[in-house]
Amino acid sequence: MDKFIIIGERIHCISPAIRDAIANRDPAPILERAKDQLASGATYLDLNIGPAERDGEEIMQWGVKLLQENFDNVPVALDTANKKAITAGIAVYDRSKGKPIINSADAGDRLGYIDLAAENDAIVIALCSKQGVPRDNDERMQYCQEMLEHGMSLGMESDDMWFDPLTLVIKGMQEKQVEYLEFIRQLSDLGLKSTAGLSNASNGMPKDVRPVVDAVLTAMAIECGLTSAILNPNDKHLMDVVKTAEVILNHTLYADSYLEL
Amino acid sequence: MGYKKEPQVFKAKIGEVVIGAGDAAVTIGGENVWSFYSFDAPIEHKPATGIEFSDKGPDRSLPELAAFYEGAESVADIAARACTAPGADFVSLILESADPNGDNIPSEDAAAIAKEAAEAATAGGKPLVIQTTGNTDKDGELIPKIAEAAQGHNVLILAAKEENYKGIAVAAVTAYGQKIGAESAVDINLAKQLNVLIAQMGIAPGSCVMQLGNAAAGYGFEYLASTIERVKLAALTQNDDTLQMPVIIPIGSDAWAVKESLVSEEDFPEWGPREERGIEMEISTAVAALAAGANAVILRHPAAVKTVSGMVDQLM
Repeated sequence: MDKFIIIGERIHCISPAIRDAIANRDPAPILERAKDQLASGATYLDLNIGPAERDGEEIMQWGVKLLQENFDNVPVALDTANKKAITAGIAVYDRSKGKPIINSADAGDRLGYIDLAAENDAIVIALCSKQGVPRDNDERMQYCQEMLEHGMSLGMESDDMWFDPLTLVIKGMQEKQVEYLEFIRQLSDLGLKSTAGLSNASNGMPKDVRPVVDAVLTAMAIECGLTSAILNPNDKHLMDVVKTAEVILNHTLYADSYLEL
Repeated sequence: MGYKKEPQVFKAKIGEVVIGAGDAAVTIGGENVWSFYSFDAPIEHKPATGIEFSDKGPDRSLPELAAFYEGAESVADIAARACTAPGADFVSLILESADPNGDNIPSEDAAAIAKEAAEAATAGGKPLVIQTTGNTDKDGELIPKIAEAAQGHNVLILAAKEENYKGIAVAAVTAYGQKIGAESAVDINLAKQLNVLIAQMGIAPGSCVMQLGNAAAGYGFEYLASTIERVKLAALTQNDDTLQMPVIIPIGSDAWAVKESLVSEEDFPEWGPREERGIEMEISTAVAALAAGANAVILRHPAAVKTVSGMVDQLM
């Protein structure tokens, strides 16, 4: 069983500090968050530059180089709606520590991101949806298969497609959570890799409730076979939960100091 | 459909540890495949076979062993002779006389013996592995003295335990640049924990090997074998860097302490000569330990050393 992979989510243009840093090409805030996330156990760093319609290519190249030059070629998830920016980012990407991740494709308008991954020998996060929220798991699986076939027809390895079950907010879609977890298990049973933005589930909840919900959902998703997640590695409690789930499932060997590792 | 060979090569690999100085240096570890799976990827450093001797001299009641060490009386002479054993990649001194339950010689005297053996081993072109008493207090005092006395010979000292690793790690590795073994008695969780604790002392992975326990084949050996396997599984398939250290398993002491190797031919004539039985116990145990993933084994009898290292050579 491969180690559960953490994709650190904190370099995201939705944060004002990061948005400003990108706008001003100011490395400091980005490097600080990168350092903190890696120290807390992130394997990949997500680099979300937003739609970046105007100067996306330049921003992505700047960001990729900034992270990789400062952190021993850390593998990066390139996260933007601007396809050209992803191509530009991969052009300067050093893959010695891992392939780039393209975040993300879906079975609808963003199917072309799979082509982009195939052309660039990248990993692609493939969101199991087309337009809006899938009706049920049959629909999710249909999208998953469509994307899988598309990727394989382009010569991709299935291991390079990480399927995202589409995490749904609990407030409003509480009845869909069990099905969501069941879908993760279906992906796992098929031997497919998966990832999820788990904290979406707690959107809209009070600040003190969110960490509890995030931690429990993460543990349940890992038990169902989720192989990676996009999350905040600097949430100590959440990381402790991930590590403990990994120990209980015998994915990592227990030692008294396991929470420090 | 044609058969497509899929090499089982792991992204993770076992770290390398170099023991011995100059021409005597030997590297163990470094593989990224299961033990002996050289058809999946080249194994650069073959598993090492060592030959051990006590500072109290060999068991001269065993005719073949006595013949091998004939005329070698001092520790230096015995060590030099051990270096000539066919197939031996390293030699190993057991500081038997330092044992508090035995002669309990002072640590300074034991360190002087270790120095003598280290010089003879380096001169003989082999690295030296020193096995201490296993007594927590005595080893805590003895090992730093050995490390100091054997400076420059890059010896591997077995072993630090959970109770005494701090002083040993600092003195042996940080102060005197030697290599240490981390001993956990057939306990995978402790094996990992001890590595974590030693790493937290600032000890680089290339300075430490794991001594996961010892047992003779048929005497609880399956626990040891499964411990070695579980450690390698975590190191290679789960890329657990706290367990990516080479594994060394001393075989001699246990293999020569079981009934099969102890009872006399007079009492059990149908079992044949005692020496042959002991050699076979050593070979059976060592081969199983190597198959489970050990990077080095330590044997006592030159005939066992020759057979085991011959097997290793043929499988590589």
